[in-house]
Amino acid sequence: MRKKLLKGWRPVLVLILFMLCWEFICSSFNVPKWLLPAPSIILQEAITGWSDYAHHLVSTIQLTILGFLVGSSVGILVAVCLHLIPGMREAFYPILIISQNIPIIILAPLLVIWFGFGILPKIIVIILVCFFPITIATLDGFRQTSDELKHYMQMAGANKQQIFLKLEWPYALPSLFSGLKISATYSVMGAVISEWLGSSEGIGYYMTLASSSFRTDRVFVAILFIVILSLLFFLLLTYLEQKVIRWKAD
Amino acid sequence: MGKLEIERIQKSYGDNQVLANISFTVQDGEFVAIVGPSGSGKSTLFRLIGGISKPDAGAISLNHKDITGLRGFISYMPQASSLLPWRTVLKNVMLGKEIVAGKTNEEQALEMIARAGLAGYEHAYPHQLSGGMKQRVSFLRSILSPQPIICLDEPFSALDEWTRLEMQKWLLSIWQQYQRSILFVTHHIEEALFLADRIIVLSEKPAIVKKEVSIPFERPRSEDIVLSKVFLEYKKMIYHELRGS
Repeated sequence: MRKKLLKGWRPVLVLILFMLCWEFICSSFNVPKWLLPAPSIILQEAITGWSDYAHHLVSTIQLTILGFLVGSSVGILVAVCLHLIPGMREAFYPILIISQNIPIIILAPLLVIWFGFGILPKIIVIILVCFFPITIATLDGFRQTSDELKHYMQMAGANKQQIFLKLEWPYALPSLFSGLKISATYSVMGAVISEWLGSSEGIGYYMTLASSSFRTDRVFVAILFIVILSLLFFLLLTYLEQKVIRWKAD
Repeated sequence: MGKLEIERIQKSYGDNQVLANISFTVQDGEFVAIVGPSGSGKSTLFRLIGGISKPDAGAISLNHKDITGLRGFISYMPQASSLLPWRTVLKNVMLGKEIVAGKTNEEQALEMIARAGLAGYEHAYPHQLSGGMKQRVSFLRSILSPQPIICLDEPFSALDEWTRLEMQKWLLSIWQQYQRSILFVTHHIEEALFLADRIIVLSEKPAIVKKEVSIPFERPRSEDIVLSKVFLEYKKMIYHELRGS
């Protein structure tokens, strides 16, 4: 803990200095509030406006968690299928890459046209953002399974199912968690993007309203909460990772 | 009972003939060592016995049952300890049985761990153990597997000389309590002489059985025999056999 504190002061100091510079520039050059609000104004809005946007926050958190759960399940399922069924990996790898090359911002309106304004297109957006890092990381984890251990398992008489459950799956867990951590932060972004289009709730909706009425301070409040949510999800997964993977040498 | 019979085994990979014609038997409760020059196909032989690949000709049988190309009939201890890093010592030791029988016997495992001098390490993870200790756990895993024969693939080759000698004595002491048939591959002549009842000398590739040597030392063996005259004579004989002169 002491070590963490000793190491942690540097990024905190940089952050504080950055905020001070920002505050100083805004006040000394009289930057208009609608162009770039000072950190103090943003903070004030975050406090006084809490009751206005609290329900948006709750809605985004719900959407993020739901989307992340579905997205990571899809990611893991795709990885397991591509790994276990021979030839599937080679066949589907290009399409996985292509799915990431289509900008989500272009795909999102299409999804609204196809699936309406309900929750389905939103979840699909989050799935598309989420599953890729998980699938790729897990597949790599499966592939990197130690040949030595695999040889032992085969010599000891293990069948394909046993090799997967007792060896490959636990071997891939650290990789899976790297994927999950990346996806956790992406999923917040995915949720916000999905709310930009056709939604009446959520941080994304709040953000669109704020920017169209030149309430730049509110846009920054939204950004602040997106950052906080992403960090919280990341920390939660790091915590889970430490709980699940206790056997790693430091 | 564990009588392993290898009959006229041949194996080639493409044009590369690895095993020309190998026949030998391991009797029930016997400790047989295989020595051969490096690259003489010892690993290939184990892959065939383990059922990972099939011989081009010949048959392998265990207690008169044909097991050619079948897996799960032998217990195996590899060169590297190959412990699963996420399992504790206890869970690792039970893995061999878990794979073949689907169930485990924790009491028996705990007792074995204690008897093997690893008490207190039941819940340690492999990365917390030394090289010698990992090999002990690996051997316990193979002896706790239900199969009647254990195949050991140069298990001590990565250890330093002192640890190796300790491990050999330890192996004999455990084995004498649990009389199983053992097939032990090594490139270390002294190790084979100290441990085995019989030594099978393989030739260079393509391998044939060049000679079979019965070892006259009685059990239990003390480490003094490695300095005896008879020991050195046998060592010389096997050395010349390997050198092909």
